[in-house]
Amino acid sequence: MITTTLILFPIAIAAGIMGAILGLGGGIIIVPCLTLIFHVPMRTAVAASTVSIIATSTGAAVAYLNDKLTNIRVAMWLEMGTAAGATTGALAAGWMSQRVLFILFGVLLGYSGYNMLKTRGKDRDRPVTPDRMSRRLRLAGAYHDLALAKEVEYQVTHSIPALVIMYFSGIAAGLLGIGAGIFKVPAMDQVMGMPFKASTATSNFMIGVTAASGAVVYFARGDVQPLVAGPVVLGVLVGALIGARLMVRMKAATVRRMFIPLILYTAVVMIYKGVAR
Amino acid sequence: MSQETQVVQEPQAVQVHPHVVAVERILAKVLRIGSIFAGAMLAVGIVAMLATGGTTWSVWLITAGLITLLATPVMRVLVAAIVFVHERDWLYALFCLVVLCALAAGVKFGMVG
Repeated sequence: MITTTLILFPIAIAAGIMGAILGLGGGIIIVPCLTLIFHVPMRTAVAASTVSIIATSTGAAVAYLNDKLTNIRVAMWLEMGTAAGATTGALAAGWMSQRVLFILFGVLLGYSGYNMLKTRGKDRDRPVTPDRMSRRLRLAGAYHDLALAKEVEYQVTHSIPALVIMYFSGIAAGLLGIGAGIFKVPAMDQVMGMPFKASTATSNFMIGVTAASGAVVYFARGDVQPLVAGPVVLGVLVGALIGARLMVRMKAATVRRMFIPLILYTAVVMIYKGVAR
Repeated sequence: MSQETQVVQEPQAVQVHPHVVAVERILAKVLRIGSIFAGAMLAVGIVAMLATGGTTWSVWLITAGLITLLATPVMRVLVAAIVFVHERDWLYALFCLVVLCALAAGVKFGMVG
């Protein structure tokens, strides 16, 4: 018992650091780790992972608040799509082919990973022309970039396509139990043209909100086992506090370079699951 | 000299509504206290669990820590909603309401499924 906790703790801290920097829940690290190494049942692992998504979100938020990295307007706009999608996903679970969805979303992730690879290194300063909807919703934002030591102002575009993407990623999350952050970051970075650091911080806010209703359900079902979830969540919380403090000082290009291997890896895993099943 | 530095610092303070600054400060405090509280309960609970081999109160302490953490994202949406109502930004207040309703619906459907 003590050894398990002692091994689990540093892994959870690492997952928290990664999650806070990249705007992900870290489920792709925690779930396989719990099930494969510690032989924890799948339901318990997913429940622990869901609560730890909230730990990442809250831990990171504490560090981001002063830099105004999180764009609450963009988060609320997109969160409507994700939440509606997740509800649809839960309802449609019976008649949608998981195999097709895995391949479809895997290809989608692979494509956005490829796009990120092409534009890597460019800390792009490309001008974004806001669309009518984003002007109306006043989605534009500004944050203080510690790495550049200046205020970065930005515009947002394609706000409706991004909402539609969020709806489908919500369905994927509801059906496949994945895609908390891995879809949100590319949607904001590549489709809406937001700066990468603002994208991961905003994604971090959203994944916590999305995970909340799932976590309540797991709690009510008794899937959240304190002895498993406790050490994992504490580790992730500590990791997220560290990771977010690192992230605000990092260059956007560095954060993006860290994201690319993870998104490509997830794409391969998802396509494999779709084909092999 | 001192006047110049003041002028340089000024732009950060513009644009933002005073209410928003106040509420954001409250939110920062809520998040900070919430996460410290949750982290402390988890840490004490885990140490107690390892030392005593899982007594009821150590498990209870861990559960309390997890639930405290669970409440924070919902608190953030609620605080955002309060900010938008303060700003008389009814559209975004509505967005927050939609998100909260969707969360409630997610819980309901999740219980059935």
